Amino acid sequence: MVSVPSPTHGAHSATAVEQPPLPVKLVIAGGFGVGKTTTVGSISEIRPLTTEAAITEVAAGVDDLTHTPDKTTTTVAMDFGCITLDPTLKLYLFGTPGQDRFGFMWDDIVDGAVGALVIVDTRRLDDCYAAVDYFEHKRIPFAVAVNAFDGAVEHDLEEVRWALDIADHVPLTVFDARRTGSVRDALLVVLDVALSRAQAAAAS
Amino acid sequence: MVVGGREPQETEEGTWDDEEAAVGRAPAVRPFLLTAGRVSGGGAAAPIPIETQIVSTADGLSVLGKLAFEHHDIVAACRRPQSVAELAARLRLHLNVVRVLAEDLCAAGHLAIYVPHARAAQDISVLRRVINGLRAVPDSRGTLRDSG
Repeated sequence: MVSVPSPTHGAHSATAVEQPPLPVKLVIAGGFGVGKTTTVGSISEIRPLTTEAAITEVAAGVDDLTHTPDKTTTTVAMDFGCITLDPTLKLYLFGTPGQDRFGFMWDDIVDGAVGALVIVDTRRLDDCYAAVDYFEHKRIPFAVAVNAFDGAVEHDLEEVRWALDIADHVPLTVFDARRTGSVRDALLVVLDVALSRAQAAAAS
Repeated sequence: MVVGGREPQETEEGTWDDEEAAVGRAPAVRPFLLTAGRVSGGGAAAPIPIETQIVSTADGLSVLGKLAFEHHDIVAACRRPQSVAELAARLRLHLNVVRVLAEDLCAAGHLAIYVPHARAAQDISVLRRVINGLRAVPDSRGTLRDSG
């Protein structure tokens, strides 16, 4: 049973003054300026916080991350927020730092995440290729959500799917990053993918 | 720490100048000195995940007055459980500095660290609880708090 966390470090851990909630992590990805922080802020119960995270940059395409020796670790700003779902369960939303012209590894942020929402701005479709590739490669459950700036989507969804080469099994949806209910529904699409995958794994 | 005959004062001055140039950035140098140059994940063990919950222990709070600087701030802040990421953001420390200092404080018995179970993200009952919790989020919310 994983829902009751127990301290895993240190001999004196049992004397913690308060039992913490189980943290669950969801990643908000997409290109620079696509609305990641807006998305986090629309549903987080706290104002989005910023911290410095380490990512690994590679100077080549993301397909051969594991084979590329030319990697450097870079410190980047990362925005995040959280929602207390019940007294024992807290959902964290971490926005991946947007990086241009580089492959990148967000493993430090992404490892252990229940899933990811990749946000797309249809005016700059190119910006989210890397994120889609990354989550496919990492086998993290994810969905793609077109951020409907000003309520308008400039492309038909199937055109977006084709242009981004998103596999048929990956849900593609439209949402408004400024609206709490809309962000909630987009996150639920990701959770549905995660649940389906967990159920399939349990059944096999 | 000072190599090549440079005076300690010069090093410190340079440090603070650099920091002022980076407007709004946390003072990153002293924490790295506090970690004695150690960074998280450098050894055999993987760094603790950023959502890992940290909580003060009764022992830690009882010696709070004797702790200095970041050690004091971390133990004081963790009266309420929070993640490594929240702690880093609120104290304006680098994530990896918080990781190192938290593990030191844990070894000293001042903090408890709750590393999430690696399989929790694929646990059907956990996922169902997240879904139910999210469904209860209303269509619109009030003003955001500044701290969680």
